[in-house]
Amino acid sequence: MFHKILIANRGEIAIRVIRACRDLGIRTVAVYSKADRDSLHVRLADEAICIGEAPSSESYLNIPSIISAAEIADVDAIHPGYGFLSENAHFAEICESCQIKFIGPKPESVRLAGDKSIAKETVKKAKVPTIPGSKTIVENQAEALRIAKKFGYPVIIKARAGGGGKGMKVAHNDGKLVNAFLTAQSEAEAAFGDRGVYIEKYLNEPRHIEFQILADQHGNVVHLGARDCSIQRRHQKLIEESPAPGLSKILFKKMGEAAVRAARAFQYENAGTIEFLVDSEERFYFIEMNTRLQVEHPVTEMVTGIDLVKEQIRIAAGHKLGYNQDSVRFNGAAIECRINAEDPERNFMPSPGKIETLILPGGPNVRVDTHVYPGYVIPPYYDSMLAKIIAHGKDRNEAIHIMLRALKETVFGPIKTTVSLHERILNRPRFRQGKVTTHFIETILASPSGIESVEERKAG
Amino acid sequence: MTIKELKEMINLMQEHGLVELEIEKNGFKIRLKKGSAGTIVQEELTPAAVTKSEKHSQTEAQHQIIEEAGVSVVRSPMVGTFYASPAPDSDPYVNRGQEVKSGDVLCIIEAMKLMNEIKTDVSGKVVDVLVENGQPVEFDQPLFKIQKL
Repeated sequence: MFHKILIANRGEIAIRVIRACRDLGIRTVAVYSKADRDSLHVRLADEAICIGEAPSSESYLNIPSIISAAEIADVDAIHPGYGFLSENAHFAEICESCQIKFIGPKPESVRLAGDKSIAKETVKKAKVPTIPGSKTIVENQAEALRIAKKFGYPVIIKARAGGGGKGMKVAHNDGKLVNAFLTAQSEAEAAFGDRGVYIEKYLNEPRHIEFQILADQHGNVVHLGARDCSIQRRHQKLIEESPAPGLSKILFKKMGEAAVRAARAFQYENAGTIEFLVDSEERFYFIEMNTRLQVEHPVTEMVTGIDLVKEQIRIAAGHKLGYNQDSVRFNGAAIECRINAEDPERNFMPSPGKIETLILPGGPNVRVDTHVYPGYVIPPYYDSMLAKIIAHGKDRNEAIHIMLRALKETVFGPIKTTVSLHERILNRPRFRQGKVTTHFIETILASPSGIESVEERKAG
Repeated sequence: MTIKELKEMINLMQEHGLVELEIEKNGFKIRLKKGSAGTIVQEELTPAAVTKSEKHSQTEAQHQIIEEAGVSVVRSPMVGTFYASPAPDSDPYVNRGQEVKSGDVLCIIEAMKLMNEIKTDVSGKVVDVLVENGQPVEFDQPLFKIQKL
C-alpha cells in the first residue's frame, strides 16, 4: 500500500481524496497556487507545497511544478482528482517515468477514450451501440453540410478533445450549421488546443445515463450501477441521481453489460464512467468514457456502500477488487445537488467573494462535500462549485424530501448561489415523476419563479 | 520600519532641530513630532499596508518576511531542492555580507533532475540566506535578502 500520496487538485475533491487517504493511513501532500494559500485542502493535508501563481496554467496544470513537488515530498503516488490533469495522458506517462503511480487508468486508455471518434470506433467493435455520425473529424463546411444531410437534422457538433460538456454546438438546419461548425472549431481550439470536431445525430429529448465502472489490475471489471444526470444547464450538470429513475430491469442489465464491455475494450483499470444517451424509444447509445473519478461519484457511493476513492487507491496499489458483479448491492436512492456560486436571477453570473455566514445541512442521510468555511474568500480563478449536497433515501421520493430538507437549512451568505434553483427543480411535478430529459432546465428557467427567494428569507 | 531606522530618524531630528517629520513609503506612513515631553511617534497605516499585514498573518511561518525598506527578497520561481553551491564540495555561490550585481548566480534549484541557476535581478549586499543547502523549497519561498545599494 502507498505510504504517501500527492493530490494534484484543489477544492472539495482534494479534501475527498485526503479523507480517503486518512482512512487508509496514508500520508497526504497538498499542492496549491498562491491564491489557494488559505484553502481548506492545504490545512487538512499533512504537507503542503506551493506550486505557482493563481492561474491554473501556472499551478494546477503545471506539470513540472507538480512533479517537482512530488519528488521533493517523496510520494509514491499522485491522485489527479477530476478536471485539471486527470485525463491528461502525457501527465500519466510522466508519472510513470518518474516511478510515481498515477491513480487512474494507463496512459493508453486515457488516449483511446480521450479521442471521441476513436473511442466510438473502439466500442463499436465490442458491440456497444453508438450514435450515427461522422467516422472521423469533419474538415470543412462542405463536408459538414454533407454529413448533416446524410444523418438528418438536428445534428450536434462536438470537439474531439472535448469533455465536461464543453465544445458542443447543436444545429437544426443548413443555415445554422455553418456558423455552429465554425464556432465549435474555434471554441475547441481555445479550450483544448485542438480544433478537430465531429458531427453526430442529435437525439430528441434524450436522457443522460451513465454507468460507474471499477476495474482492477487483474482483469476484473464491474459496474456500480447507473446515474441519471439529465438536469443540466449548457451541458454542465446540476443534479445527479442514482439509480436512473424509470430504467427497466432489462435495459439496466443490457446497459450495464455494455458498459463493462466498453471498459474492457479500452483495457481499462481503476475508476471510470461510461456515458450513454437513451432516446424516447429506450434505445441507448454510447457517447463517451470518462477516464477519471467524476464529480457525482457520491450518489453511487451512497447507494452501493462502496468508497470509490479508497477503491481507486487500492486498485492502483495492485489489490484485487474482492467482489464480482453479483455481489454489488444497490440500496435505496441518492440525489446530489451541485451548489455553485452563481446568481440564477442574473443568468448565472459568477458570484465570487467572502462567505460570511455558513450553515451547512446535516442530520440523517445527508452528506456534504465542500471546501468552504466561514470567512473563506472564493477565488475568481477556478470553477464556481461551492459544495455538493447529497441525500440518501430508501427510495427516490424519500431522497427528494430529504434533499429539500437539507436545502432549506443551507446558507452561504451573502454569496448568490443556486440553492433556490435546486429547490424549484425538486418541486416540479415532472422531476418528481422522474420524467426528466436534458431539455428540462430550459423550461424551468423560462418560466417565472413565483416562489419567494428562499435564500433571502433564511439569511434574515 | 526597523527600530534602528526609527532611532536614526529621531537622531536626525535632534541633530537638525526638526520639530516634525513625516515619511510615506510603500503604503506605510510615519509621523514624528517633537513635543515638550519628548518625541511622539504616530504611525498611520494606509489601507494598502493594512491589507498587506492581514495577508502576512495568514501565511505560513516560513513565508513571514517583514518587508524592510531597501531590502529585496529573492523568492523561488519553482518547486525543487535548493543547493547553495555549484557542486557538493565547492564553495557556495554567495555568502552573507557578499556583494552581488544584477545577473549573478545566487544558487541552484534542482527540479526534475535539472539544475536551474537562480540569478539576482538586483545589485546589492546579501543580508540573509534563508534556506539551507539541500532543503526542499516551494514556489515563491523566500531564499535571500539583498540590501539594495
